[in-house]
Amino acid sequence: MDEIMGYLRPGEKVFVVGCDNCAAKCHSGGIPETEQMAKRLESRDVNVVGWCVPQPKGISLCKLSNTQTVLGEEYAEQVKQADSFLVLACGQGMHTVMDATDGGMVHPGCDTIFGGETVTDDFITEYCSLCGECIVEYTGGLCPVTLCAKSLLNGPCGGAKDGKCEVDRTRDCGWQLIYDRLKALGRLSQMADYVEPKNNSRSSRPRSLKIGAGEATFRSLGGELKVSSES
Amino acid sequence: MGRLADALKSGAFVVTGEIGPPKGADLQGCLRDAETLRGQVTAINVTDLQSAIMRIGSLAVCARLVERGLEPVFQLACRDRNRLALQSDLLSAWALGIENVLCITGDHPVLGDHIEAKPVYDLDSVQLLKAVSTLNDGLDMAGHDLETRPGLFAGAVVTPGAEPVEPQLIKMKKKIEAGACFFQTQAVYEPDRFERFMDQAQALGVPVIAGMVILKGVGMARFMNANVAGITVPDSMISEMQDTRREDRKKKAVEISARIIRQIKPLCQGIHIMPLGWEDLVPEIIQEAGLASG
Repeated sequence: MDEIMGYLRPGEKVFVVGCDNCAAKCHSGGIPETEQMAKRLESRDVNVVGWCVPQPKGISLCKLSNTQTVLGEEYAEQVKQADSFLVLACGQGMHTVMDATDGGMVHPGCDTIFGGETVTDDFITEYCSLCGECIVEYTGGLCPVTLCAKSLLNGPCGGAKDGKCEVDRTRDCGWQLIYDRLKALGRLSQMADYVEPKNNSRSSRPRSLKIGAGEATFRSLGGELKVSSES
Repeated sequence: MGRLADALKSGAFVVTGEIGPPKGADLQGCLRDAETLRGQVTAINVTDLQSAIMRIGSLAVCARLVERGLEPVFQLACRDRNRLALQSDLLSAWALGIENVLCITGDHPVLGDHIEAKPVYDLDSVQLLKAVSTLNDGLDMAGHDLETRPGLFAGAVVTPGAEPVEPQLIKMKKKIEAGACFFQTQAVYEPDRFERFMDQAQALGVPVIAGMVILKGVGMARFMNANVAGITVPDSMISEMQDTRREDRKKKAVEISARIIRQIKPLCQGIHIMPLGWEDLVPEIIQEAGLASG
Protein backbone atom coordinates (compact mmCIF):
# COMPACT_ATOMS: atom_id res chain seq x y z
CA MET A 1 0.00 0.00 0.00
CA ASP A 2 2.85 2.38 0.80
CA GLU A 3 4.22 1.98 -2.69
CA ILE A 4 0.82 2.63 -4.24
CA MET A 5 0.15 5.59 -1.97
CA GLY A 6 3.51 6.94 -3.08
CA TYR A 7 2.23 7.04 -6.66
CA LEU A 8 -0.74 9.25 -5.82
CA ARG A 9 -0.72 13.01 -5.58
CA PRO A 10 -2.79 14.86 -2.98
CA GLY A 11 -6.37 15.23 -4.22
CA GLU A 12 -5.87 12.83 -7.14
CA LYS A 13 -9.18 11.25 -8.18
CA VAL A 14 -8.65 7.53 -8.65
CA PHE A 15 -10.72 4.86 -10.38
CA VAL A 16 -9.70 1.29 -9.51
CA VAL A 17 -9.87 -1.37 -12.25
CA GLY A 18 -9.38 -5.11 -11.79
CA CYS A 19 -9.25 -8.08 -14.17
CA ASP A 20 -11.60 -11.04 -13.96
CA ASN A 21 -9.16 -13.48 -15.55
CA CYS A 22 -5.56 -13.91 -14.35
CA ALA A 23 -5.64 -11.25 -11.62
CA ALA A 24 -8.84 -12.81 -10.26
CA LYS A 25 -7.22 -16.27 -10.34
CA CYS A 26 -4.26 -14.92 -8.41
CA HIS A 27 -6.51 -13.07 -5.99
CA SER A 28 -4.71 -9.85 -6.88
CA GLY A 29 -7.41 -8.07 -8.85
CA GLY A 30 -10.69 -9.92 -8.88
CA ILE A 31 -13.97 -8.43 -7.64
CA PRO A 32 -13.30 -8.87 -3.87
CA GLU A 33 -9.74 -7.55 -4.18
CA THR A 34 -10.66 -4.57 -6.30
CA GLU A 35 -13.44 -3.60 -3.90
CA GLN A 36 -11.05 -4.01 -1.01
CA MET A 37 -8.44 -1.84 -2.68
CA ALA A 38 -11.01 0.91 -3.23
CA LYS A 39 -11.91 0.76 0.49
CA ARG A 40 -8.26 0.80 1.55
CA LEU A 41 -7.60 3.88 -0.54
CA GLU A 42 -10.70 5.58 0.89
CA SER A 43 -9.58 4.82 4.42
CA ARG A 44 -6.34 6.62 3.57
CA ASP A 45 -8.29 9.66 2.38
CA VAL A 46 -7.83 9.05 -1.32
CA ASN A 47 -10.64 10.37 -3.49
CA VAL A 48 -11.89 7.13 -5.07
CA VAL A 49 -14.39 7.98 -7.80
CA GLY A 50 -15.28 4.37 -8.47
CA TRP A 51 -14.12 0.84 -9.15
CA CYS A 52 -14.97 -2.04 -11.44
CA VAL A 53 -13.89 -5.43 -12.76
CA PRO A 54 -15.13 -5.56 -16.36
CA GLN A 55 -17.52 -8.46 -16.99
CA PRO A 56 -18.66 -10.95 -18.34
CA LYS A 57 -17.20 -13.41 -15.88
CA GLY A 58 -13.69 -14.62 -16.62
CA ILE A 59 -12.94 -12.11 -19.33
CA SER A 60 -9.43 -10.67 -19.53
CA LEU A 61 -8.95 -6.96 -18.97
CA CYS A 62 -6.64 -7.02 -21.98
CA LYS A 63 -9.57 -7.53 -24.36
CA LEU A 64 -9.70 -3.91 -25.48
CA SER A 65 -13.13 -3.85 -27.09
CA ASN A 66 -14.80 -5.11 -23.95
CA THR A 67 -12.87 -2.88 -21.58
CA GLN A 68 -13.61 0.08 -23.81
CA THR A 69 -17.35 -0.65 -23.69
CA VAL A 70 -17.42 -1.17 -19.92
CA LEU A 71 -15.40 1.91 -19.07
CA GLY A 72 -16.83 4.06 -21.83
CA GLU A 73 -20.49 3.22 -21.29
CA GLU A 74 -21.33 1.55 -17.96
CA TYR A 75 -18.90 3.66 -15.95
CA ALA A 76 -18.69 6.65 -18.26
CA GLU A 77 -19.45 9.25 -15.54
CA GLN A 78 -16.87 8.04 -13.02
CA VAL A 79 -14.24 7.46 -15.68
CA LYS A 80 -14.71 11.04 -16.89
CA GLN A 81 -14.09 12.35 -13.39
CA ALA A 82 -11.03 10.21 -12.77
CA ASP A 83 -7.52 11.72 -12.88
CA SER A 84 -6.02 8.25 -12.95
CA PHE A 85 -6.65 4.54 -12.91
CA LEU A 86 -5.12 2.16 -10.43
CA VAL A 87 -4.98 -1.12 -12.34
CA LEU A 88 -4.88 -4.45 -10.57
CA ALA A 89 -3.73 -6.54 -13.52
CA CYS A 90 -0.65 -7.19 -15.63
CA GLY A 91 1.04 -4.72 -17.93
CA GLN A 92 -1.07 -5.95 -20.82
CA GLY A 93 -4.22 -5.04 -18.86
CA MET A 94 -2.80 -1.69 -17.81
CA HIS A 95 -2.05 -0.75 -21.35
CA THR A 96 -5.56 -1.74 -22.37
CA VAL A 97 -6.94 0.72 -19.83
CA MET A 98 -4.68 3.40 -21.31
CA ASP A 99 -6.06 2.60 -24.76
CA ALA A 100 -9.64 2.32 -23.55
CA THR A 101 -9.48 5.74 -21.93
CA ASP A 102 -7.63 7.48 -24.77
CA GLY A 103 -4.35 7.70 -22.94
CA GLY A 104 -5.60 7.87 -19.37
CA MET A 105 -2.99 7.92 -16.59
CA VAL A 106 -2.50 4.44 -15.17
CA HIS A 107 -0.78 3.26 -12.00
CA PRO A 108 0.34 -0.32 -11.62
CA GLY A 109 -1.32 -2.02 -8.71
CA CYS A 110 0.50 -5.30 -9.21
CA ASP A 111 4.00 -6.53 -9.99
CA THR A 112 3.41 -8.79 -12.96
CA ILE A 113 5.60 -11.83 -12.91
CA PHE A 114 4.74 -14.23 -15.71
CA GLY A 115 2.11 -15.97 -17.77
CA GLY A 116 1.62 -19.38 -16.28
CA GLU A 117 -0.34 -22.56 -16.06
CA THR A 118 -2.93 -22.76 -13.32
CA VAL A 119 -1.93 -26.20 -12.09
CA THR A 120 -4.28 -26.02 -9.14
CA ASP A 121 -6.26 -23.11 -7.74
CA ASP A 122 -3.39 -22.32 -5.39
CA PHE A 123 -0.43 -22.94 -7.57
CA ILE A 124 0.50 -21.31 -10.84
CA THR A 125 3.84 -21.84 -12.51
CA GLU A 126 5.61 -21.23 -15.79
CA TYR A 127 6.21 -23.74 -18.49
CA CYS A 128 6.70 -21.40 -21.43
CA SER A 129 8.97 -18.43 -22.03
CA LEU A 130 7.20 -17.24 -25.14
CA CYS A 131 10.45 -17.33 -27.07
CA GLY A 132 8.94 -17.91 -30.48
CA GLU A 133 11.16 -20.91 -31.36
CA CYS A 134 9.57 -23.93 -29.83
CA ILE A 135 11.86 -26.96 -29.51
CA VAL A 136 9.86 -28.99 -27.05
CA GLU A 137 9.25 -31.58 -29.73
CA TYR A 138 12.86 -32.64 -29.01
CA THR A 139 12.73 -32.37 -25.25
CA GLY A 140 9.69 -34.47 -24.46
CA GLY A 141 7.37 -31.49 -24.32
CA LEU A 142 9.36 -29.80 -21.56
CA CYS A 143 10.86 -26.40 -22.26
CA PRO A 144 14.54 -26.05 -21.30
CA VAL A 145 14.43 -22.26 -21.73
CA THR A 146 11.87 -22.14 -18.92
CA LEU A 147 12.78 -25.09 -16.75
CA CYS A 148 16.57 -24.75 -16.81
CA ALA A 149 17.89 -21.86 -14.71
CA LYS A 150 20.51 -21.23 -17.36
CA SER A 151 18.15 -21.88 -20.28
CA LEU A 152 20.64 -24.35 -21.72
CA LEU A 153 19.61 -25.89 -25.00
CA ASN A 154 22.26 -28.60 -24.79
CA GLY A 155 22.02 -29.51 -21.15
CA PRO A 156 22.60 -30.45 -18.41
CA CYS A 157 25.36 -28.46 -16.75
CA GLY A 158 27.47 -30.00 -14.00
CA GLY A 159 25.63 -28.31 -11.20
CA ALA A 160 22.66 -30.59 -10.58
CA LYS A 161 22.68 -32.55 -7.34
CA ASP A 162 20.18 -35.34 -6.68
CA GLY A 163 18.15 -34.08 -9.61
CA LYS A 164 17.90 -30.58 -8.14
CA CYS A 165 19.19 -27.36 -9.66
CA GLU A 166 22.36 -25.68 -8.36
CA VAL A 167 20.57 -22.36 -7.91
CA ASP A 168 17.92 -23.76 -5.59
CA ARG A 169 18.07 -27.25 -4.16
CA THR A 170 14.28 -27.39 -3.85
CA ARG A 171 13.85 -26.91 -7.58
CA ASP A 172 14.09 -29.71 -10.13
CA CYS A 173 16.91 -29.63 -12.64
CA GLY A 174 15.16 -28.92 -15.93
CA TRP A 175 17.43 -31.25 -17.84
CA GLN A 176 16.93 -34.05 -15.33
CA LEU A 177 13.19 -33.72 -16.04
CA ILE A 178 13.84 -33.74 -19.79
CA TYR A 179 16.16 -36.77 -19.51
CA ASP A 180 13.61 -38.72 -17.45
CA ARG A 181 10.79 -37.80 -19.82
CA LEU A 182 12.70 -38.69 -23.00
CA LYS A 183 13.65 -42.02 -21.45
CA ALA A 184 10.02 -42.70 -20.57
CA LEU A 185 8.97 -41.85 -24.11
CA GLY A 186 11.69 -44.03 -25.61
CA ARG A 187 13.22 -40.96 -27.30
CA LEU A 188 16.49 -40.55 -25.43
CA SER A 189 18.40 -40.40 -28.71
CA GLN A 190 16.96 -36.93 -29.25
CA MET A 191 19.06 -35.70 -26.35
CA ALA A 192 22.19 -36.52 -28.36
CA ASP A 193 21.24 -34.09 -31.13
CA TYR A 194 23.02 -30.72 -31.22
CA VAL A 195 20.71 -27.75 -30.72
CA GLU A 196 21.72 -24.47 -32.39
CA PRO A 197 21.99 -21.26 -30.36
CA LYS A 198 18.79 -19.33 -29.84
CA ASN A 199 17.65 -16.64 -32.24
CA ASN A 200 17.33 -13.91 -29.63
CA SER A 201 16.03 -11.36 -32.09
CA ARG A 202 12.73 -13.24 -31.92
CA SER A 203 12.49 -12.59 -28.20
CA SER A 204 13.37 -8.90 -28.19
CA ARG A 205 10.31 -6.96 -27.13
CA PRO A 206 7.83 -5.61 -27.96
CA ARG A 207 6.46 -8.07 -30.50
CA SER A 208 3.21 -8.19 -32.36
CA LEU A 209 0.90 -10.53 -34.19
CA LYS A 210 -1.25 -9.24 -37.03
CA ILE A 211 -4.09 -11.57 -37.98
CA GLY A 212 -5.45 -11.41 -41.52
CA ALA A 213 -7.65 -13.60 -43.69
CA GLY A 214 -6.07 -17.05 -43.71
CA GLU A 215 -2.76 -15.76 -42.44
CA ALA A 216 -0.95 -14.14 -39.55
CA THR A 217 2.21 -12.06 -39.40
CA PHE A 218 4.52 -12.21 -36.40
CA ARG A 219 6.75 -9.19 -36.09
CA SER A 220 9.85 -8.95 -33.95
CA LEU A 221 13.35 -7.53 -34.24
CA GLY A 222 14.13 -10.74 -36.08
CA GLY A 223 11.90 -9.64 -38.92
CA GLU A 224 8.46 -10.59 -40.13
CA LEU A 225 7.27 -14.15 -40.17
CA LYS A 226 4.10 -14.84 -42.12
CA VAL A 227 2.20 -18.03 -41.56
CA SER A 228 -0.73 -19.20 -43.62
CA SER A 229 -3.66 -21.29 -42.49
CA GLU A 230 -3.97 -22.63 -46.04
CA SER A 231 -1.38 -25.21 -46.87
CA MET B 1 51.20 -26.64 -31.04
CA GLY B 2 51.40 -25.79 -27.38
CA ARG B 3 52.92 -28.02 -24.73
CA LEU B 4 49.54 -29.33 -23.54
CA ALA B 5 48.33 -30.31 -27.00
CA ASP B 6 51.76 -31.83 -27.73
CA ALA B 7 51.85 -33.86 -24.54
CA LEU B 8 48.33 -35.20 -24.95
CA LYS B 9 49.02 -36.12 -28.55
CA SER B 10 52.17 -37.98 -27.62
CA GLY B 11 50.30 -39.96 -24.99
CA ALA B 12 52.43 -38.66 -22.13
CA PHE B 13 50.66 -38.49 -18.75
CA VAL B 14 49.87 -34.84 -18.21
CA VAL B 15 49.66 -32.74 -15.03
CA THR B 16 47.82 -29.41 -15.08
CA GLY B 17 47.40 -26.90 -12.28
CA GLU B 18 45.08 -24.02 -11.54
CA ILE B 19 45.13 -20.49 -10.15
CA GLY B 20 42.34 -18.10 -9.32
CA PRO B 21 42.55 -14.36 -10.12
CA PRO B 22 42.12 -11.95 -7.21
CA LYS B 23 39.26 -9.64 -6.39
CA GLY B 24 41.39 -6.58 -6.90
CA ALA B 25 43.37 -4.67 -9.46
CA ASP B 26 46.84 -6.17 -8.91
CA LEU B 27 48.10 -9.50 -10.26
CA GLN B 28 51.30 -9.95 -8.24
CA GLY B 29 49.90 -12.48 -5.74
CA CYS B 30 48.23 -14.51 -8.42
CA LEU B 31 51.41 -14.60 -10.53
CA ARG B 32 53.40 -15.71 -7.48
CA ASP B 33 51.01 -18.68 -7.15
CA ALA B 34 51.66 -19.46 -10.80
CA GLU B 35 55.43 -19.38 -10.23
CA THR B 36 55.05 -22.09 -7.59
CA LEU B 37 53.73 -24.32 -10.33
CA ARG B 38 56.50 -23.58 -12.85
CA GLY B 39 58.19 -26.77 -13.93
CA GLN B 40 55.65 -28.86 -12.02
CA VAL B 41 52.78 -28.78 -14.49
CA THR B 42 52.39 -28.65 -18.26
CA ALA B 43 49.73 -25.94 -18.21
CA ILE B 44 47.96 -23.75 -15.67
CA ASN B 45 44.19 -23.19 -15.74
CA VAL B 46 43.05 -19.67 -14.92
CA THR B 47 39.47 -19.61 -13.66
CA ASP B 48 36.80 -17.27 -15.10
CA LEU B 49 34.83 -15.59 -12.30
CA GLN B 50 34.58 -18.94 -10.55
CA SER B 51 31.49 -19.37 -8.38
CA ALA B 52 30.12 -16.22 -10.05
CA ILE B 53 32.32 -14.06 -7.83
CA MET B 54 33.54 -10.90 -9.53
CA ARG B 55 37.32 -10.87 -9.96
CA ILE B 56 40.01 -9.85 -12.41
CA GLY B 57 39.50 -11.62 -15.73
CA SER B 58 41.10 -14.83 -16.83
CA LEU B 59 42.23 -13.23 -20.08
CA ALA B 60 44.48 -10.69 -18.33
CA VAL B 61 46.11 -13.33 -16.15
CA CYS B 62 46.59 -15.74 -19.05
CA ALA B 63 48.28 -12.99 -21.08
CA ARG B 64 50.75 -12.36 -18.25
CA LEU B 65 51.47 -16.08 -17.94
CA VAL B 66 52.31 -16.24 -21.63
CA GLU B 67 54.72 -13.31 -21.19
CA ARG B 68 56.45 -15.27 -18.47
CA GLY B 69 56.80 -18.40 -20.56
CA LEU B 70 54.11 -20.31 -18.65
CA GLU B 71 51.33 -22.03 -20.58
CA PRO B 72 47.81 -21.10 -19.54
CA VAL B 73 44.44 -22.76 -20.04
CA PHE B 74 42.01 -19.89 -20.55
CA GLN B 75 38.74 -20.80 -18.84
CA LEU B 76 35.81 -19.17 -20.58
CA ALA B 77 32.29 -19.30 -19.12
CA CYS B 78 29.00 -18.73 -20.93
CA ARG B 79 27.43 -17.01 -17.97
CA ASP B 80 28.56 -13.42 -18.54
CA ARG B 81 29.16 -12.86 -22.24
CA ASN B 82 26.97 -13.09 -25.33
CA ARG B 83 28.17 -14.73 -28.57
CA LEU B 84 29.73 -11.48 -29.80
CA ALA B 85 31.84 -11.07 -26.69
CA LEU B 86 32.71 -14.77 -26.50
CA GLN B 87 33.99 -14.91 -30.07
CA SER B 88 35.82 -11.65 -29.51
CA ASP B 89 37.50 -12.96 -26.36
CA LEU B 90 38.52 -16.13 -28.19
CA LEU B 91 40.20 -14.08 -30.90
CA SER B 92 41.73 -11.81 -28.26
CA ALA B 93 43.13 -14.83 -26.46
CA TRP B 94 44.76 -16.15 -29.62
CA ALA B 95 46.18 -12.73 -30.42
CA LEU B 96 47.73 -12.63 -26.93
CA GLY B 97 49.45 -15.97 -27.46
CA ILE B 98 46.94 -18.07 -25.56
CA GLU B 99 46.19 -21.38 -27.19
CA ASN B 100 44.26 -23.56 -24.74
CA VAL B 101 40.66 -22.72 -23.88
CA LEU B 102 38.34 -24.55 -21.50
CA CYS B 103 34.71 -23.95 -22.52
CA ILE B 104 32.36 -24.10 -19.56
CA THR B 105 28.78 -23.15 -18.74
CA GLY B 106 29.57 -21.17 -15.58
CA ASP B 107 28.00 -21.13 -12.14
CA HIS B 108 24.73 -19.19 -11.98
CA PRO B 109 25.00 -15.56 -10.71
CA VAL B 110 22.60 -16.36 -7.90
CA LEU B 111 25.41 -18.43 -6.30
CA GLY B 112 27.90 -15.61 -6.37
CA ASP B 113 28.36 -12.17 -4.92
CA HIS B 114 26.32 -10.16 -7.44
CA ILE B 115 23.04 -12.01 -7.31
CA GLU B 116 21.15 -9.31 -9.20
CA ALA B 117 23.36 -9.59 -12.25
CA LYS B 118 21.74 -10.61 -15.52
CA PRO B 119 22.65 -14.18 -16.44
CA VAL B 120 23.65 -14.25 -20.11
CA TYR B 121 24.07 -17.90 -21.25
CA ASP B 122 23.58 -16.79 -24.86
CA LEU B 123 25.54 -19.92 -25.74
CA ASP B 124 25.90 -23.12 -23.77
CA SER B 125 29.22 -24.94 -23.48
CA VAL B 126 28.52 -27.16 -26.50
CA GLN B 127 27.68 -24.18 -28.68
CA LEU B 128 30.79 -22.38 -27.41
CA LEU B 129 32.93 -25.35 -28.45
CA LYS B 130 31.29 -25.19 -31.86
CA ALA B 131 32.12 -21.48 -32.00
CA VAL B 132 35.80 -22.27 -31.35
CA SER B 133 35.79 -24.85 -34.14
CA THR B 134 34.13 -22.40 -36.48
CA LEU B 135 36.66 -19.66 -35.71
CA ASN B 136 39.49 -22.15 -36.20
CA ASP B 137 38.00 -22.82 -39.64
CA GLY B 138 38.25 -19.13 -40.48
CA LEU B 139 34.60 -18.13 -40.04
CA ASP B 140 32.59 -16.44 -37.35
CA MET B 141 29.29 -17.83 -36.07
CA ALA B 142 27.31 -15.76 -38.55
CA GLY B 143 29.26 -17.17 -41.47
CA HIS B 144 31.52 -14.22 -42.18
CA ASP B 145 35.15 -14.74 -43.20
CA LEU B 146 37.83 -13.91 -40.64
CA GLU B 147 40.88 -12.01 -41.89
CA THR B 148 43.12 -14.44 -40.04
CA ARG B 149 42.14 -17.55 -38.17
CA PRO B 150 43.12 -18.80 -34.72
CA GLY B 151 44.25 -22.32 -33.89
CA LEU B 152 42.71 -22.74 -30.45
CA PHE B 153 42.96 -26.02 -28.58
CA ALA B 154 39.58 -26.46 -26.92
CA GLY B 155 38.69 -28.49 -23.89
CA ALA B 156 35.59 -29.03 -21.79
CA VAL B 157 34.51 -30.34 -18.41
CA VAL B 158 32.68 -33.49 -17.40
CA THR B 159 31.43 -34.64 -13.99
CA PRO B 160 32.19 -38.33 -13.46
CA GLY B 161 30.48 -38.26 -10.06
CA ALA B 162 27.12 -37.00 -11.35
CA GLU B 163 24.04 -39.07 -10.52
CA PRO B 164 22.73 -40.09 -13.00
CA VAL B 165 25.90 -40.08 -15.07
CA GLU B 166 24.30 -40.91 -18.43
CA PRO B 167 23.36 -37.29 -19.26
CA GLN B 168 27.01 -36.35 -18.67
CA LEU B 169 28.14 -38.98 -21.15
CA ILE B 170 25.53 -37.93 -23.70
CA LYS B 171 26.71 -34.33 -23.41
CA MET B 172 30.37 -35.41 -23.45
CA LYS B 173 29.79 -36.98 -26.86
CA LYS B 174 28.11 -33.77 -28.07
CA LYS B 175 31.07 -31.76 -26.82
CA ILE B 176 33.49 -33.96 -28.76
CA GLU B 177 31.40 -33.62 -31.90
CA ALA B 178 31.44 -29.86 -31.37
CA GLY B 179 35.23 -29.82 -31.11
CA ALA B 180 36.40 -30.67 -27.60
CA CYS B 181 39.95 -32.07 -27.79
CA PHE B 182 40.38 -32.83 -24.09
CA PHE B 183 38.41 -33.01 -20.87
CA GLN B 184 39.20 -31.97 -17.34
CA THR B 185 36.89 -33.51 -14.78
CA GLN B 186 35.28 -32.39 -11.54
CA ALA B 187 37.23 -33.67 -8.53
CA VAL B 188 37.52 -37.43 -8.09
CA TYR B 189 37.67 -39.05 -4.65
CA GLU B 190 36.27 -42.46 -5.45
CA PRO B 191 38.48 -44.46 -7.81
CA ASP B 192 35.83 -47.20 -8.26
CA ARG B 193 33.19 -44.78 -9.41
CA PHE B 194 35.72 -43.07 -11.66
CA GLU B 195 36.61 -46.43 -13.19
CA ARG B 196 32.97 -47.13 -14.01
CA PHE B 197 32.72 -43.72 -15.65
CA MET B 198 35.92 -44.19 -17.65
CA ASP B 199 34.72 -47.60 -18.89
CA GLN B 200 32.26 -45.64 -21.01
CA ALA B 201 34.07 -42.33 -21.46
CA GLN B 202 37.36 -43.73 -22.72
CA ALA B 203 35.57 -45.28 -25.68
CA LEU B 204 34.83 -41.77 -26.94
CA GLY B 205 38.51 -41.46 -27.80
CA VAL B 206 39.38 -38.08 -26.28
CA PRO B 207 41.93 -37.56 -23.47
CA VAL B 208 40.48 -37.24 -19.97
CA ILE B 209 42.44 -35.38 -17.27
CA ALA B 210 41.01 -36.29 -13.86
CA GLY B 211 40.41 -33.49 -11.39
CA MET B 212 41.85 -33.38 -7.89
CA VAL B 213 40.98 -30.80 -5.26
CA ILE B 214 43.45 -30.86 -2.34
CA LEU B 215 41.50 -31.76 0.79
CA LYS B 216 42.31 -29.17 3.43
CA GLY B 217 40.26 -30.73 6.18
CA VAL B 218 37.07 -32.31 7.43
CA GLY B 219 35.13 -29.04 7.18
CA MET B 220 36.02 -28.64 3.54
CA ALA B 221 35.13 -32.25 2.73
CA ARG B 222 31.75 -31.96 4.41
CA PHE B 223 31.08 -28.63 2.73
CA MET B 224 31.82 -30.07 -0.70
CA ASN B 225 29.68 -33.14 -0.05
CA ALA B 226 26.75 -30.95 0.91
CA ASN B 227 27.15 -28.19 -1.63
CA VAL B 228 29.24 -29.07 -4.65
CA ALA B 229 27.52 -31.16 -7.29
CA GLY B 230 29.29 -34.27 -8.48
CA ILE B 231 31.83 -34.39 -5.64
CA THR B 232 31.65 -37.10 -3.00
CA VAL B 233 34.36 -37.42 -0.38
CA PRO B 234 33.81 -40.88 1.12
CA ASP B 235 33.18 -41.22 4.87
CA SER B 236 36.33 -43.31 5.28
CA MET B 237 38.40 -40.40 3.97
CA ILE B 238 36.64 -37.95 6.27
CA SER B 239 37.36 -40.22 9.25
CA GLU B 240 40.97 -40.45 8.16
CA MET B 241 41.26 -36.67 8.23
CA GLN B 242 39.39 -36.46 11.49
CA ASP B 243 41.98 -38.76 13.12
CA THR B 244 44.81 -36.55 11.89
CA ARG B 245 46.49 -34.09 14.25
CA ARG B 246 46.14 -30.44 13.31
CA GLU B 247 49.85 -30.00 12.63
CA ASP B 248 49.82 -32.97 10.24
CA ARG B 249 46.92 -31.66 8.12
CA LYS B 250 49.04 -30.67 5.15
CA LYS B 251 50.97 -33.91 5.24
CA LYS B 252 47.70 -35.87 5.27
CA ALA B 253 46.38 -33.77 2.37
CA VAL B 254 49.44 -34.68 0.32
CA GLU B 255 49.11 -38.34 1.29
CA ILE B 256 45.45 -38.58 0.30
CA SER B 257 45.95 -36.72 -2.96
CA ALA B 258 48.92 -38.84 -3.95
CA ARG B 259 47.08 -42.05 -3.07
CA ILE B 260 44.06 -41.19 -5.20
CA ILE B 261 46.29 -40.14 -8.08
CA ARG B 262 48.20 -43.42 -7.98
CA GLN B 263 44.92 -45.32 -8.06
CA ILE B 264 43.36 -43.49 -10.98
CA LYS B 265 46.50 -42.85 -13.04
CA PRO B 266 46.09 -46.06 -15.11
CA LEU B 267 42.54 -45.03 -16.00
CA CYS B 268 43.11 -41.61 -17.55
CA GLN B 269 45.48 -39.37 -19.49
CA GLY B 270 46.37 -36.85 -16.80
CA ILE B 271 45.65 -35.15 -13.51
CA HIS B 272 44.30 -31.64 -13.01
CA ILE B 273 45.28 -30.32 -9.57
CA MET B 274 43.16 -27.56 -8.02
CA PRO B 275 45.18 -26.35 -5.01
CA LEU B 276 42.72 -23.67 -3.78
CA GLY B 277 45.49 -21.73 -2.09
CA TRP B 278 47.78 -24.63 -1.18
CA GLU B 279 49.92 -24.31 -4.32
CA ASP B 280 53.01 -25.03 -2.21
CA LEU B 281 51.89 -28.64 -1.76
CA VAL B 282 51.71 -29.37 -5.48
CA PRO B 283 55.40 -30.36 -5.95
CA GLU B 284 55.15 -32.82 -3.01
CA ILE B 285 51.95 -34.34 -4.31
CA ILE B 286 53.45 -34.82 -7.75
CA GLN B 287 56.50 -36.41 -6.19
CA GLU B 288 54.59 -38.74 -3.89
CA ALA B 289 52.19 -39.74 -6.63
CA GLY B 290 55.10 -40.82 -8.79
CA LEU B 291 54.19 -38.54 -11.63
CA ALA B 292 56.77 -37.75 -14.29
CA SER B 293 57.93 -34.11 -14.31
CA GLY B 294 56.41 -31.46 -16.58
